[in-house]
Amino acid sequence: MPLRRTSPARPRLPLLALLGLALAALAPALRGGEAMAVIPAGAYRPIARATTDPEIVPVTAFRLDVLPVTNGEFLAFVTAHPQWRRSRVSPLFADETYLAHWAGDLDPGPSAALDAPVVHVSWFAARAYARSLDKRLPALAEWELAAAAGYDTPSGRDEPAFTRDLYAWLSAPTADPLPSVGAFRPDFHGVRALHGLVWEWVDDFDTAMVTGESRADAARDQNLFCGGAAASATDPGDYSAFMRQALRSSLKARQGTASLGFRCAADLPLPPSAP
Amino acid sequence: MKTSAFLLAALLPLLAAPAARAASCCAPALPAGEPLPAASLYQSEVAFTTDAGAAFTLADLRGRPVLLAMFFSSCAYACPATVVDLVRIKEKLPPALRDEVLVVMVSFDVERDTPAALRAFRETRGLPADWVLLRGENDSVREIAALLGVKYKREADGQFAHSNLVTVLSADGEIVHQRAGLSGGLDEAAAALVALQTLKH
Repeated sequence: MPLRRTSPARPRLPLLALLGLALAALAPALRGGEAMAVIPAGAYRPIARATTDPEIVPVTAFRLDVLPVTNGEFLAFVTAHPQWRRSRVSPLFADETYLAHWAGDLDPGPSAALDAPVVHVSWFAARAYARSLDKRLPALAEWELAAAAGYDTPSGRDEPAFTRDLYAWLSAPTADPLPSVGAFRPDFHGVRALHGLVWEWVDDFDTAMVTGESRADAARDQNLFCGGAAASATDPGDYSAFMRQALRSSLKARQGTASLGFRCAADLPLPPSAP
Repeated sequence: MKTSAFLLAALLPLLAAPAARAASCCAPALPAGEPLPAASLYQSEVAFTTDAGAAFTLADLRGRPVLLAMFFSSCAYACPATVVDLVRIKEKLPPALRDEVLVVMVSFDVERDTPAALRAFRETRGLPADWVLLRGENDSVREIAALLGVKYKREADGQFAHSNLVTVLSADGEIVHQRAGLSGGLDEAAAALVALQTLKH
């Protein structure tokens, strides 16, 4: 897939049309992100792998939230679990950036609309939120498998409309304030906004070791040649996957950023015993 | 009257259930006694099992300085070196402190490091009886690794790529020193333990 820069002189009309679509899509977002979609079993192909890494990671079918967690939903969580409020959270589980954009402990305020994705949340907080609903964070392989879907097929990279939207987002700065989670077109699995809104935590984010092998602590330099990862990449065209890889490897579990949110996953319930 | 008592009895478990879940998911309940420092790892409630098969939480370590490392028992390269380093750090300590410091090893290998595998590891490496060997489920191992800043990844051949970190914890579970890598740093780790001792007296 050729990497194209999006032209800065895009016509304005599609933008307006998109806005209309956004408004139409707002309704489900306001109902809350309870809905989950089933992501069928598949295989995740790590983009940059060491020779010791598997070529393909099999992923069993699982459930994934249709929408990222919103400020409104996170407000309900911190209301029910006071130890996760901004003023009370242990520095062990969240640094000083935690919910930094909220007006107060129980007041998201003007820069955090209730139907916008919650950001500035640490990995520990995201996990605690998921656990409070008997859910969990998706594994990296699960998230990537789901995010590979386009609008009409399980493989978005072959859909021009999908890749155009994806790269338009990647080339634009993070929206401020963030828009509603509902303003996104459902993908092939019925999931929304995996791309185009915020980056998302995965449970095993800290497996993204860009130096490949942190056992090489003593001889780190040889792992840091620029371009090394791309040279061994399975799909050098998948630029967005590289961006996610780079982001994940830079994160710490206590940290949040202005463009990092999350959504929850769950195992599929065991099928009822065969008749 | 009878009906309402019956109703209450029927409702009680329902009322209790969400509270119990909340506690297990995210309420870092402080143990009796002195409150834990804000940065204490012992606020985490992750559950582990010892090589003897006993349930164990990090807070069970409270009261003694700790030397902690993550490992997996089938590791051929870094982990044996880590065991040797833990022994050498202890040997550098004054005798009284040496007996007080608790050595803790937590396995990455959720699948293979059963309590029995850890017992075998203790035996083949000749580890002292007071060393604490722990295993946990994926969730617990991920959380303690994140708390310590240890990155790890299971490789296709079943080995683990992982950071080599030896962490010194205060008696209240605060990280006071971390030794990274596989060479050097033993004196500094021992000095951190001695400094803890000095602080206490």
